[in-house]
Amino acid sequence: MIEDERIVALFAAPERAPDEVFVARIARGVAAEQRAAAARAAAWRRFAVECAGSAAVITAFWLVWRLAPAALPLDGVTTVPAAAAAILILGLWFAIELRPSATAR
Amino acid sequence: MDQDAVLAGRAAAGDAAAFTALVRAHEGAVRRFLARLTRGDGADDLAQEAFLRAWRRAGDYRGAGSYRGWLMRIAWTAFLDARKSAGRREDREMAVLQQESPRNPDAAIDLGRALAGLGTRERAAALLCFGEGCSHAEAAQIMGLPLGTLKSILARARAALVARLEA
Repeated sequence: MIEDERIVALFAAPERAPDEVFVARIARGVAAEQRAAAARAAAWRRFAVECAGSAAVITAFWLVWRLAPAALPLDGVTTVPAAAAAILILGLWFAIELRPSATAR
Repeated sequence: MDQDAVLAGRAAAGDAAAFTALVRAHEGAVRRFLARLTRGDGADDLAQEAFLRAWRRAGDYRGAGSYRGWLMRIAWTAFLDARKSAGRREDREMAVLQQESPRNPDAAIDLGRALAGLGTRERAAALLCFGEGCSHAEAAQIMGLPLGTLKSILARARAALVARLEA
């Protein structure tokens, strides 16, 4: 129909070459996204390693508490083994988190 | 498999160069669509957001439909999200069309005047079908509408455009 042709002609835009400035802007954005994704992946890996380490420490203290409470040298501490283990774990956790390489991240 | 699908597959695997080639091929259509839709108000920022979303979701393109259509859908969604967050704005004259150096400068003014009276969905449907050469089915998919709804929106847009052109 004539009206449709007129409308299509009205909307027609001239062909143009790609806008390299805009393409470069998107490429920079994509590079930034890639860097952010790599940093996120590294952070998750670090978190997983620290979780595994913490789990190992907790398991070790649990085993010590369950299997040989009488063998622990500190008699006073063995009277409240769960609290002692928790304090030790917290101490270790702070030691891990505040070590120079961790605070320098 | 067409060139876009090959590049899209590589982009989904993390190939930034392939994605850049897709940007180079489609930035014109996406930016023109958004510029006319927004009347130039932040169109390039929206286009950038749309392309970065496309990069993040590169794995979602399954090759059903054209890559350009998939990009247009992301651009349309980015536009709706931006409009939702910015709230409704007053209609303004479309400066962007004057920047496009059209074949006929009067056409830009006519198009601006013709589009000014259309609602957002009518404008988008007209831009996709008349401006970008999308089929009705493709435009419906881009706008996330049933085909019948798209056709009735487009019929309203067409009637309004004809009325304005003849006024």
